[in-house]
Amino acid sequence: MALGVKGIKTAFMAALLAGTAFMATPADAAGKLTISSPQDPGSWDPIDTFLVNWASVGTNIFDGLTYRGPDRKLVPGLAESWTEMDGGKRIRFKLRSGVTFHNGEPFNAAAVKFTFDRLLGEEGAKGPQRSNYVAIDSVEVIDDTTVDFKLKAPDPVLLTKLAGYGAMIVPPKYIQEKGDAFFNVNPVGTGPFKFVSYAPKTGIKLEANPNYWGGAPKLSEVEYRFITEPATAVAELQAGRVDVVLPPTIPIGMVPVIQADPKLTVLSIPGPTVDALRFNTKSGITADPRVRKALIMAVDRAAIVKSILAGQASEIASFQGELSFGYDPALKPLPFDPKGAQALLAQAGVKPGAAVQIDIRGNDATMNEVAQAVAAYLGAVGVVATIKPYETNVLLNDIIPQGKTGAMFQQKWGGWTFDYDNTAYAMYHSGEKWNPYEQDADLDKLLESQRAITDVAERERILKQIAHTVADKALEMPLYNSNAIYGVAKRVKNFPPASDNRPKLTEVTVD
Amino acid sequence: MAAALSFLRSPRFRNLEFLLGATLTLVICLAVLFSDQLFPGGADKMDLMARLSPPFRTAAHPLGTDPLGRDVLARVVAGGKISLLVGFVSVAGAAVIGVLMGLISGYYRGICDMVVMRFADVQLALPFILLAITFIAIVGGSLTNTIILLIVSQWVQYARLVRGSVLALREREFIQSARAIGVKDWRIIVQHLLPNLIGPVIVLLTLNVANNILLESSLTFLGLGIDPTIPSWGGMLASGRTYLQVAWWVSVFPGLAILLTVLGLNLLGDWLRDSLDPTGRTSR
Repeated sequence: MALGVKGIKTAFMAALLAGTAFMATPADAAGKLTISSPQDPGSWDPIDTFLVNWASVGTNIFDGLTYRGPDRKLVPGLAESWTEMDGGKRIRFKLRSGVTFHNGEPFNAAAVKFTFDRLLGEEGAKGPQRSNYVAIDSVEVIDDTTVDFKLKAPDPVLLTKLAGYGAMIVPPKYIQEKGDAFFNVNPVGTGPFKFVSYAPKTGIKLEANPNYWGGAPKLSEVEYRFITEPATAVAELQAGRVDVVLPPTIPIGMVPVIQADPKLTVLSIPGPTVDALRFNTKSGITADPRVRKALIMAVDRAAIVKSILAGQASEIASFQGELSFGYDPALKPLPFDPKGAQALLAQAGVKPGAAVQIDIRGNDATMNEVAQAVAAYLGAVGVVATIKPYETNVLLNDIIPQGKTGAMFQQKWGGWTFDYDNTAYAMYHSGEKWNPYEQDADLDKLLESQRAITDVAERERILKQIAHTVADKALEMPLYNSNAIYGVAKRVKNFPPASDNRPKLTEVTVD
Repeated sequence: MAAALSFLRSPRFRNLEFLLGATLTLVICLAVLFSDQLFPGGADKMDLMARLSPPFRTAAHPLGTDPLGRDVLARVVAGGKISLLVGFVSVAGAAVIGVLMGLISGYYRGICDMVVMRFADVQLALPFILLAITFIAIVGGSLTNTIILLIVSQWVQYARLVRGSVLALREREFIQSARAIGVKDWRIIVQHLLPNLIGPVIVLLTLNVANNILLESSLTFLGLGIDPTIPSWGGMLASGRTYLQVAWWVSVFPGLAILLTVLGLNLLGDWLRDSLDPTGRTSR
């Protein structure tokens, strides 16, 4: 009997213990996820960077007023709701209450005001993020959970822009006390994961924030490792030392290697990145739109996408992917027609043997092959193409902005907002950094007009019109919209392959 | 061990070295020179649908095809043109400038010597890769620029070698007597100095050709070199890198070509060095 009592007692204790253990699980789950990211942004301050790979980490540390998940729908973030007032020139946000930063500081209207005063003020002027938010005139605190954004002019993309990058809400007291330099390497936000440690060029470690307003994350730890060399990242994934490889890392040529591994899988979804070969529309043979059209028609872009990009991309007709706002499915790429191209070239008076130079980024392995294929196709219609690989920074900061390119040059672009305005304005408006050659008053007017319109349908109509105009003038040879390629170990469950490379890891678990 | 060493010093090995080196170099040079005849238009013929076909399967592509469906064999052979051109031209350029500088500074001494040799010291203190990256970043990558870069970075070796020899030779009796009977300076340099110091220069030349082929390959590999449409060994290596696990043949065959060429030239250079060695330590 005594034994029996003891037995029952033990069983009871065991059950109790098991019970506590069981109850502890949701709040403090186990499991560590290791992620390979190709780039170290150097600073974790949201206003210091435009790097996509900042955002892959940042989206797990910080929150914005709005949130855009993998489905690309805009939903409430730190703001519970919002209303547009004064014809779009004022937006009133009702804030979530009871939210605290990782350091215990309360999130409130003052924090929102501080964040945007900082972004639009002196500190923000040092970084690249400010220019995205210049439509905001000022932020006014109405009460502790209500703020008003007063705008200089309506900005149709602002609510999306509030979901990421420079608009991430930062803790005022922490930054004022510790200073900006400290904040750069010791970030504090309201997000699902708390910052633990950061080793420059090596990695950043995070741990679960059990008090996250959106529900505690299921992982206990996340480590991001910065691995720049694609082959190394893939080897680490194969060896099991890394669970996820973020894009843009995995070269298309290595996709079959990962697919062949029973422990790994490839998640590939359309992303924002588009590639085009743009023309020098000011001088040389490509100043003639007939020649530009001929060059486009001479290249079998569909075959390039199918073979070299191995289906990890889709052909485009304008400089945007199908997810982009302003995408027109009715706009079709020019057909592959070498005979027609030759006729057009003859009409334009271009003799066989005419030379064009294609400028590309030297470290872009895919573009290297694509450009060679393009050169071979152009050779077939009698245009001799040479390829000039540049160091990426030289091409981006010197050759393109100063108009020193060859007849054609590579442009890679990826706006995380998925709005054609972000691309088109920078590419085609006169005097923009990325537009060294084309000056077209009509196009300028169109581009300016859509910026002031908050009527969604009307704006979309104008954006489509812009795409058609650009296609008619053949300002570029649109190539493809690349997929974002994630390499993921099968032990990782519920991984959200975000098209904007900002996977939020709240629901992720590991076996 | 001792037996192996003595074989390495034996005349039979010397002959083997020469035979192997000369054959390799000759075969490769001929194949490359006549690549257009061997593969008419083959190196650039693209067939996107037949990309990455494996080697040793069809007669059309004995070494398989690359990511653009071009014949690897044809490209390896045609790619040698760039590599050998860069190798030989850069070495010739560096040797001409270097020998000239070495002769002038060694023969005339004085301020001339000072300037050239201090310049050479500065040059030797600069790491090659640093120089290469800076140079290519400023002037841009092209075939001519790559050759100029190699010349600029290598003339010093010849200059120092030649100057050393000239310093020793100019005090010798035959030079002194030539000068005493009033032979002009340029004649002394061309007729009396040059033939007496050209041996080591030729050896350095052969060894450097191999070295420069490797450098050109690594520069192209780093994306600092030349137009990727022009086949070159380094460029092929670089473009095949991402396919290494799925299509090894894209980078292995150009790698093999580099290996064989460099091996051939090195064997030839070694043989030449031993044959020309005036101390006769390893003479037959």
